[in-house]
Amino acid sequence: MKHRLTLNLANQTVAVERFLRVARHRGFKLTALELACDQDQFAVNITVDSDKPIYLLTQQLNKLVDVHSVTTAQLQQQAS
Amino acid sequence: MTGAELVVEILAREGINEVFGYPGGAIMPIYDALYESQVTHYLTRHEQGAGFAAVGYARSSGKLGVCMATSGPGATNLITALADAMMDSVPLLAITGQVPTAAIGSDAFQEVDVLGMSLSCTKHSFMVERSEDLAPILQQAIHLAQSGRPGPVLVDIPKDIQMGEARYQPWLADSEARQQPCQEQVNNANQLLSECQRPVAYIGGGVQAADAQAQLMQFLYKTQMPAVQTLKALGSVTPDYELNLGMLGMHGGEAANLAVQQCDLLLCIGARFDDRVTGNLTKFAPNAQVIHLDIDAAEVGKRKPAAASLVADLKASLPQLHCFVTEPNWCAHITALAQQHAWRYDYPGETVYAPALLNKLSQRLSADAVVCCDVGQHQMWVAQHMQFSHPSNHLSSGGAGTMGFGLPAAIGAKIARPNDMVLTVSGDGSIMMNIQELATIRRNNLDVKIVVIDNQRLGMVRQWQQLFFAERYSETNLSDNPDFVALARVFGIDGQCITHHEQVDEALDAMLSSKGPYLLHVCIDDKDNVWPLVPPGAANDQMMTQANSEKKP
Repeated sequence: MKHRLTLNLANQTVAVERFLRVARHRGFKLTALELACDQDQFAVNITVDSDKPIYLLTQQLNKLVDVHSVTTAQLQQQAS
Repeated sequence: MTGAELVVEILAREGINEVFGYPGGAIMPIYDALYESQVTHYLTRHEQGAGFAAVGYARSSGKLGVCMATSGPGATNLITALADAMMDSVPLLAITGQVPTAAIGSDAFQEVDVLGMSLSCTKHSFMVERSEDLAPILQQAIHLAQSGRPGPVLVDIPKDIQMGEARYQPWLADSEARQQPCQEQVNNANQLLSECQRPVAYIGGGVQAADAQAQLMQFLYKTQMPAVQTLKALGSVTPDYELNLGMLGMHGGEAANLAVQQCDLLLCIGARFDDRVTGNLTKFAPNAQVIHLDIDAAEVGKRKPAAASLVADLKASLPQLHCFVTEPNWCAHITALAQQHAWRYDYPGETVYAPALLNKLSQRLSADAVVCCDVGQHQMWVAQHMQFSHPSNHLSSGGAGTMGFGLPAAIGAKIARPNDMVLTVSGDGSIMMNIQELATIRRNNLDVKIVVIDNQRLGMVRQWQQLFFAERYSETNLSDNPDFVALARVFGIDGQCITHHEQVDEALDAMLSSKGPYLLHVCIDDKDNVWPLVPPGAANDQMMTQANSEKKP
């Protein structure tokens, strides 16, 4: 199942590494990444693919200190 | 002042009086600032020892543990302790020196990207890039390590930041009211509680983290709900509670596992359905609805769905549960299970039976003694056969299962609680993993009692080789161990060795009455196994026991 997430992160490079590591480790394959930086934060759109329910990822991402917000922008019911 | 002096000042301002570490090139300015400061530094003989001493300090006291190391190998040697603290939610601050900012990324001497390495084994981590960030980062790190679900936080400080000018500025955390549960979920939980007939409370390390033992015991006494505990939670339910069934899971008691398998409601209080607890997850508590109480929303539904979830501080959520009274028939059944499956100590033969020795040791200890463990068979025997009145009195590496934990953790515990008896129970495999810390015990004259349960094997691995790998004993024979009493003596530590069960009482009394550190070397039969055991892939009611799995001579 593919899911599209929108994240706002602290403007620190390590914040990007941190959330990508969590996504990989928790079993969500990254299939698209779009990242823009302004003075205050990173705006990130990602698409991930996994058999696991998406809340298992969003709950872990919400715990990260550098992650200001996580929204499931789009939920596609399509096979990978 | 310099950045290094600021580090020490902030530690002192935060009430941190004791730290553990090992100096080196990139952290020399901080060690210079520690010299003659009011913060006492304890030198361990390996950075991993410093990390585990800080973990032992934190777990035995409820306070923040602090460890420090230099860049490169110093920092990498802390990583295992950070991972251990992450798995067991221990409040820990690690401060590492880093090569100067201008040298970062140049493969400089003793340069390792410790920030990158920390990502998977810390709650959060920082690299200080500007002097003006040093004060707020350190204060935020101290706050983060202890807030919400506690965990390890690392602050990596380049040497030029340590040596440059820095200024104290206060950092204020957002005011945090105690996290309250959602009222709708409280109502759901109370509805489920009012309908159940066979409830069991499944208690985890969250009770200690929330300092909620009083609320837990109040709830249990009022409801008379049977209780089982994870390894980390042992001590949360006091030994005098009659429906306390002890540890559940792979090496849990038969009564504890059977009660959970038979219950119709599982009240999970600060636990996380770890695989060593559940066995085959699809067959775990198959008839039970789950109510899950945890401060970490990510634990709810991670392994097992919950019919109701109270994401909150346990001190806030436990008092909101209905205090109904458990069905007397269920309680009577639980009591019968406990009696039917009580531990037995009638061991044939002349050698020392470790469970019996540990049970005798437990009976000799006061309620405020601290027992640290390493990892393996002896660790499970401690969990099964010793009793604890508070989780801060039982320090055992749970989630990470780190051999080498026990000796340095006991050092940290003794420094945190100098007036309490501190012991470490280790195995002949585990003790060798941080044996250098005997020097730390001697250097500081720490009254730590050390029990080495020696079967001349990596016992737990050997047991699995016997049961599941066709008795192919690959690399688990340690019959060339050193003479542990002689080894202790080299470090100025007294001790004795026992081999016969009739020596146990006298040896325990000699150890406990000795002045200063002492090592008791206990030789046991290399074929002794830990029972019961839930084999891989099985449900928790499919336990292998001594009776159904082996014939004793």
